[in-house]
Amino acid sequence: MILNVEAVTKGFTGRRENKMIANDNISLHIDEGEIYGLLGQNGAGKTTLVNQILGLITPDSGDIQLLGKSVLQSPERARSICSVQPQSQVPLGFLTPKQAVTLIGKMRAGKKFDPKRVEMLFEALDMGEWANKEGEKLSGGAKRLTAFCMAVIAPGKLVILDEPTNDVDPVRRRYLWQVIRNLTNDGTSVILVTHNVLEAEKAVDRVAIINKGRILTQGTPLEVKSSVSNQMRIELSLASELDIEIPSWALSSYKNGSRLFFAIDPQEVTATIEWAKRQVDKGLIMDYSLSPATIEDAYIELTSKKAVGL
Amino acid sequence: MNVLSHYKYVFQMQFLRNAGFLVFMILIQILISIGIVIGFTYLLPAPDTNSILFLATGAPTIILIFTGLVILPQQVGTAKSDGYMEFMRTWPVNRGVILGADTTIWLIITLPGIIISSIIAHLMFSPGYDISWTVIPALLMIALTSIGVGYGFSYLLSPTASLALSQVIVFGALMFSPVNFPLERLPEWLQALHQALPIYSMAEVMRASLAASTFEATAGNYINLLIWCVLGYGGAIIILNRK
Repeated sequence: MILNVEAVTKGFTGRRENKMIANDNISLHIDEGEIYGLLGQNGAGKTTLVNQILGLITPDSGDIQLLGKSVLQSPERARSICSVQPQSQVPLGFLTPKQAVTLIGKMRAGKKFDPKRVEMLFEALDMGEWANKEGEKLSGGAKRLTAFCMAVIAPGKLVILDEPTNDVDPVRRRYLWQVIRNLTNDGTSVILVTHNVLEAEKAVDRVAIINKGRILTQGTPLEVKSSVSNQMRIELSLASELDIEIPSWALSSYKNGSRLFFAIDPQEVTATIEWAKRQVDKGLIMDYSLSPATIEDAYIELTSKKAVGL
Repeated sequence: MNVLSHYKYVFQMQFLRNAGFLVFMILIQILISIGIVIGFTYLLPAPDTNSILFLATGAPTIILIFTGLVILPQQVGTAKSDGYMEFMRTWPVNRGVILGADTTIWLIITLPGIIISSIIAHLMFSPGYDISWTVIPALLMIALTSIGVGYGFSYLLSPTASLALSQVIVFGALMFSPVNFPLERLPEWLQALHQALPIYSMAEVMRASLAASTFEATAGNYINLLIWCVLGYGGAIIILNRK
C-alpha cells in the first residue's frame, strides 16, 4: 500500500469563529500502480485532503501514512515521495518549459536525473514547439502541460495531479492520459483530483466522490455507477428556455442551458419515450436520447439529491 | 541528496525564473544609487565634503534597504497571490534552502549599484572614502538584516498590507531616517525610535566601513542588526514551515 488515510478530519476557523469542516472523517487507501480519482464539486475538500497528504497542513484528527510511515512525523519525506501538479497555474516567469522541467527533475532525482526523459515527455505530449519559449509567453494549455511534466519528470511513488487537463486541447488530453497510464506501469500511483467526471471515468481504476468534506462512495467506476445502475438517463434538447413539466417517474433531473437530463427506472423506458414523443409533437423539445447511466449521473445523484433543477 | 545540490538547483530555478526582472532591477539600483549621491547635492546649496560623504556612504544603505524592504516584499506578495509560494512549499527540499538561495539572488542584485555609485562618487567628489576590510562583513550583515526583515514581514502580512508597509518604508528611509544626514537633526522622539529600528544601525555600520577614518559604529549598532536579522529570518522560517 502506498497511501493510507485514516479517519482524517480537518476544519478551518473562519471569521466570527465559524468552523468550516473541510474534511470529515475521510478514510481511503491507494495501492501501487493505481490511478485513484477524487471527484467533487468546488469546495468539496479535495485540495485540503491533498495538502494534508503532502504534509503542508496538519489534520485535526486521524493519520496519514505514506509507505507505512506517518506524514505528520516527516513532512519533508512526504514531499519527496509525492510529486504534485497544483491546481493553479505555475507562474514560470522567464523559465522555458525545458529549463523548468529539467531543474525540477534535478531537484527531485539528483544525479539519477535522466535528461532524455524531458525529451521523451515533450515528444509524447507534442510540446516540442514550446520547449524553448519563455514561460510568460506560453498559452494556458502549454503552461498547464509544463506543470504536468514538472510533476512527472522524476515522479515519486505517488503523483498528485490537480485538474491536469484544464486548458489542454482534446488531442493532447489523450496523450496526457497515455503518459499517466505509462507512469503506473512503472509502479507509480496517481491521485487524480478533478470535477471533470466523464473524463475521469475512463482514466481511473478507483474513484471516490467527495461532497462537503465527506466521501459519499468509493470503488471502481462500475461499483460507483451500480449505486444508481439500474437507471437509464434521458437527455432532451429543449426548444425554448421555458421549463417543461417533468414526468412524475423521473428519479432525478438537472438542467444545463437548453439541455435537460433526468434519470428513470428501466421499466419506465416505454412510457418515457411516449412522453418524449408527445413533447416533440407539441414542439417543446427538439430531440431526445436515451442511454445507460454514466458516472456523471451517479455523481450528480449523490451530490445533489434532486436539489438541482427540481 | 545533500543540501548543497538542492541549493544549487533551487538557486538556478529562482534565478532563471526571474532573470529578466533581475537585470532590470540591477539597472534601477545603479540609477537610484547614483541619483542619491548626485541628486541630493542639488538639495543642498553649498554642500561641503562632509555632507557629500554622508550622501556617498548613505547610498549603499539605501540600496540595501530598498532591495530588502521594498522590492523583495513586492516580489513575495506577487508569489503569494499567483500561487508560486504554494508551489514552492511542495518542493522536496528544506525550506531554509529556498530562503538561502533567494537571499543570494537579492545580494547579487545590490552589488553592481553599490560598487558603481561608490566609484562615481569618488571620481566626482572625492568625499574621503577610507574603505576598511570590515566592508565585506558589514555589507553582508546589513543586507541580511534588510532581507531578513523584508521576508519576515512580507511572509507574515497579506500582500496588500506588506505593499503598503514597503511604501511607508521607502519614504521613511529616504526622508526621515539618519542615513543621508546625521541623527542629531531629527526630533528627539524620532531619534529614540531610530535607536530601536534597524535603519540607523545599518547606516552607521556601513559608514564606519566605507569611511573608517571619519565615522565609527558602536557595538550597539552591530547587536541591533543581529537581533533584527535573527527576528526576520526566524519569523520567515517559522511561517514557511507553518501548517
